[in-house]
Amino acid sequence: MIRRWGPWIALGVVVVIALAVVLWPHGDQSSAARAQDLETQLKCPECQGLSVADSQAPTSRAIRSDIKRRIAAGQSDEQIRQAYIDKYGDSILLAPEDSGVSLLVWILPVVVLALGATGIVFALRRNRDEPHLRATDADERLVEREHRVEDTVDG
Amino acid sequence: MKAALGYAAVAFGAGASVVGITALLAGLQLRDAFLLRFGRRCVFGVMLAALAAAGVMEWALLTHDFSLRYVAENNATGTPLLYTITGLWAALEGSILLWAVILGGYLTFVVLKFRKRAADPLVVIATVTGLVVALFFFALMLGPANPFRELATVPVDGRGPNPLLQNHVLMAFHPPILYLGYVGFTVPFMFGIAALVTGRFGEGWLADTRRATLVAWGFLTIGIILGAWWSYEVLGWGGFWAWDPVENASLLPWLTATAFIHSVIVQERRGMLRVWNLSLVIATFCLTILGTFLTRSGVIDSVHAFTQSDIGPWLLAFLGVVAATGIGLVAWRGDLLRAPGRIDSAVSRESAFLANNLLFAALAFVVLLGTVFPLIAEALRGSRLSVGEPYFDRMATPIGLALLFLMAAAPALPWRATSGDVVRHRLLVPAWIGGLTMLAAVILGARGLAEILAYGLGAFATAGIVRQFVLGIRGRRRALGESRAVALGRATRSNPRLYGGLVVHFGVVLIAVVLAASSAYGANRDVKLRKGQSTTVSGYTLTYLGSHTERSDQKTTISADVKVRRGGSVLGTYAPAISTYPNSTEGIGTPSVRTGVVEDVYLTLVSAPASQQVITLGVRINPMIVWLWIGGGFMALGTILALSPRLRRRSRPLRAADAAPEPEPEPHDPEPRAEVSV
Amino acid sequence: MKHPARIVALAVALVVVVLGVVLALNVGNDPEQDAKQSHLVGKAAPAFDLPNLSGGRVTLADVAGKATIVNFWNSWCIPCEQEAPALQQFYAAHKDDSDFAMIGIVRDDATGDVRTYVKDNDVGWTIALDPQNQAALDFATRGQPETYAISPGGTVAAAKYGPMSSGELETFLAAARASE
Repeated sequence: MIRRWGPWIALGVVVVIALAVVLWPHGDQSSAARAQDLETQLKCPECQGLSVADSQAPTSRAIRSDIKRRIAAGQSDEQIRQAYIDKYGDSILLAPEDSGVSLLVWILPVVVLALGATGIVFALRRNRDEPHLRATDADERLVEREHRVEDTVDG
Repeated sequence: MKAALGYAAVAFGAGASVVGITALLAGLQLRDAFLLRFGRRCVFGVMLAALAAAGVMEWALLTHDFSLRYVAENNATGTPLLYTITGLWAALEGSILLWAVILGGYLTFVVLKFRKRAADPLVVIATVTGLVVALFFFALMLGPANPFRELATVPVDGRGPNPLLQNHVLMAFHPPILYLGYVGFTVPFMFGIAALVTGRFGEGWLADTRRATLVAWGFLTIGIILGAWWSYEVLGWGGFWAWDPVENASLLPWLTATAFIHSVIVQERRGMLRVWNLSLVIATFCLTILGTFLTRSGVIDSVHAFTQSDIGPWLLAFLGVVAATGIGLVAWRGDLLRAPGRIDSAVSRESAFLANNLLFAALAFVVLLGTVFPLIAEALRGSRLSVGEPYFDRMATPIGLALLFLMAAAPALPWRATSGDVVRHRLLVPAWIGGLTMLAAVILGARGLAEILAYGLGAFATAGIVRQFVLGIRGRRRALGESRAVALGRATRSNPRLYGGLVVHFGVVLIAVVLAASSAYGANRDVKLRKGQSTTVSGYTLTYLGSHTERSDQKTTISADVKVRRGGSVLGTYAPAISTYPNSTEGIGTPSVRTGVVEDVYLTLVSAPASQQVITLGVRINPMIVWLWIGGGFMALGTILALSPRLRRRSRPLRAADAAPEPEPEPHDPEPRAEVSV
Repeated sequence: MKHPARIVALAVALVVVVLGVVLALNVGNDPEQDAKQSHLVGKAAPAFDLPNLSGGRVTLADVAGKATIVNFWNSWCIPCEQEAPALQQFYAAHKDDSDFAMIGIVRDDATGDVRTYVKDNDVGWTIALDPQNQAALDFATRGQPETYAISPGGTVAAAKYGPMSSGELETFLAAARASE
C-alpha cells in the first residue's frame, strides 16, 4: 500500500506546503495594494470598458489620485466604492455587486456547472449498472501489439 | 456605374443561391444528375458573384470613387495604398462582403472536394445548407447592408478610415484571418445539419469535415492572437485582452469549436457523444452569427463596434431560425442519436473528454453571460451595470485551471477502462515535476494561488507532453533502430494528429503561464519629464531626449524620443507617439515597446502639451508578454502539423528484435482504422 | 424515460429564447445612453473652492442665488475649441443679467497655457483652476468639455458631456432659472 501510494502522499505534502505558504493570512494590504485593487474595480467613465488602472484618460488619472487621497484620509474600500457609485451610478463598478439582480451573474454559471456535472455523474452511474462485455487486459495487450507491429512494419 | 455593377453582382449571387438550392433539392428528389450538376455550378456562380462584387468595391476604393457612400466614409484621397485596399473590410457593409467572398470560397472547396459523391444526399443537403447561409448574407447586402449605396451629392474628399484602422499593417491580416476562421465553421455546420436531416449521423460527416474544421479552428486561433497583439502593440493601453464584448464574441465560437475538435475524437473512436458533437458544431456556428450581431447592432458598448445600422434585427432573426432548426433537429432525432458504446469507467479518456466538453461549455456560458448581462440587468431593473475584467477573471480562472489539469492528465488515461496502477504509474513523474514547480515558484516569491497552480499544472502538462514524445521516439528506436532525430521526424509524421495536438497544447501552456504572471507582476507609472530628465522604473532608466512632429496628408504625429537603459547598458531609443487625423477630434496614441525575453518596457505618450518641453510619459513593465506570441506560434505550428498527411506506408524488413515480446503497451492514439482519408 | 437529449434541448431552447428576447428588446438602443447621463441632475451641486487666475478663490457660495453655467474645459482639447465661439456668444448675450453667472473650470493644464489662452481669446467669464481634479471628480465629469447648469438654489438642473451649441446653452440657462 505504501509502495503504491507513498510517492503520491509525498507529492501531496509538497503541494500542501506550497499552498499553505500562499494561503497563509498575512497582515492587511498595504495602501498601494489597496489602491491598485480599487483601481481595477472601477471603470474609467470616459472609456469603453477599461478599468481606471489600465486607462490613461485624464478622468482615470484623476480618479487614481483621488483614490490615493481617500485611502490616506482613512476611508475604507467600501466607502470609496460607494462614493463613486453615488457619483457615477452602478455602472462604474466593473464587477457587479453580489446583491439583487447582480447576484444572478455570479450564481448562474455555478448552477449550470453543477447541473452539468450532476448529469454526467448520473449518466456514468447508469452506464456502470448495466452489464456489458469487458475485454480483459490480456486481450487489450494482444490487440495493441498487433496494431504496433503493423505500424512499425509499415513505418 | 460601379454601384450598379456591384449591386448586380450581389443580386446575381443571391439569385444563384436560390437557383442552386432549388436545383439541388429537385435533383436529389428526382435523382436527376443534370440538376445536381447544375446546382453545383450555381455554387461556382455564387463564388464568382462575391468575387466580382468585392472586385468592384476594390476598384472603387482604389480610384477613390466617392460617389459610393462606403468609399466616401472609409477612404480619402490621402489614404495610403495599403489602407485603401484594407478599406474593403474596414466597416460594416464591406465586412459582410468579405464574409460572402470567404463563404463562397469554402462552398466551392466543398463542392470540388466532394464532386465524386455528388449524388450523396449528405453532400447535397450540406451544399444546400451552405447555399442558404450564403443567400442570407447576399440578402443582407441587397437590403440593410448595401455596400454600393450611392450618395446624392458626391463629396470632394472622403472621410477616410477610422484612425485606429489605419495606423498598423496588422489591419491587412487580422480581419481576413479572423473571418477565414469564423466562416470556416460553416462547413462542419453544413454537414452536421445534413447528417441530422439525412439520418446519417454516424462518423461519416465528421471524417468528411475534419480537415476543414481544423483549418477553420487554426485561423480563428491565429486571428484571436493577432487581435491580442493589435490590442497590445497598437491600441496602447498596455494590455492584450480587455474582455471587450467584441473580443468575447470571437472567443465564444473558439471555445465551443475547441470542445468540438476534442470531442469528435471520442465519436471517431467509439461512436459516442454524438449529441454533444452535433450540438457543439451547431452552437459554434450560431455563436459566429451571434458575434456578428453583437458587434454590428450597437446593442453593446464596445471599443470595436461598427457603426450602427439596421442590420441587427435581420441577424437576430437569422440566428433565431438557425438555433431553432438546430435544436429542433437534435430533439427530433433524439433517440436515434444514442451511441452504441458506453463509458465504462470514470477514469478513462472518454470521461476526460466529457469533462472537457462540460468545462468548455461552462466557460462559454460564463463569457456569454458576462457579455450580455448588462442588457439583462437593464431589462430587469431599468439601468445598466458593467461586467468587466474582475468578473471574467474571477469566473474563468478556476475553469481554466481545471482545463489545464485535464490537459495534463487526460493523455495518460487509456480508453475504456484501466486499473488505477497504470494511470498512477504514467502520471507520477509529470505530477512530481508539477508539484516541485509549484514549490519552486513559492520559494522564489510567488504568492498568488491561481498563479502557482497555473505554473504547477503547466509544468505537469509539459512533462506529460515531453513524455509522449520520448515514448514515441523510444518505441521507434527499439523497433527500427533509427537515430533520435529520424525517429522524432518519423514518429510525428506517422501520427500527426497526436503530435500536432501535443505541440498545440504546449502553446497553450505557454499562454497560461503568461496569463498567470502578467496578473501578478508588472509596474505601471506616469511620469512628467522635462527634456533631458530621467526617471527609473523597475530597474530601467528612461531619459526624455526631445520630441519632433511629422506632418503628412494622412496625419500629424508628435513623437517623443526616450532612451532606455538598464544597469549601465543602453537598450535603445524608443519613440511613443500621438497622431491626430484631419477628420477626427481625438489623438490616437501609438505605444513604443521594448520587447524582452522576461519582460517588456511599454512606453506611451500620455500628453504632450504644445510647449513639448514637458511630457507625461506612461511607463509599464509587462512581464513575459513575448511568450504569448511564441505560444501562439506553437499553436499555429501544431495545427499545421496536425493537418499534414500521415507518412505513407512502405514495407520494410523487420529487425530481429521484433521477434521478442514487447514491453507494456502504450496507448498512444493511433488513427482509427476506418478513417476516410481526407 | 425521455432521452436526455430532449431535456437538454429544451433547456438550451429556453436559454436561447430568453437571450433572443433580451437582445431583440435592445436593438437600436444606444448602449452608452445610461453612462452619458449625469447622476447629478436634480441633486445639490457639489461645493468647490478653487483658485482663480488672479490669486483669489472661486467658490460655489459666490454664485448662490444666481443661475450658473459651469463649463469644464482646458486649452488643448479639440472639442473645447469647437464650442468656444458658442460660449463667447452666450456670455456676451447674458453677462449683464443680474441673476447670471458663468464659471469655467480648467483641469489637466498648465497655468501658463491657460493664462495665455484667456488673454489671446479674450475670455470674459470667471476661470477657476482645478489642478487636483477635485471639482472634476466631485461633479462626476466624464471628460471635457462638460457643462452643468446650476439653479439659484444650488441644484444641478442640467448636465451635458460634449461640445455645446448656442441653443443648448440657452436651454440650460432656462432650465437653471426654472429650477429651485
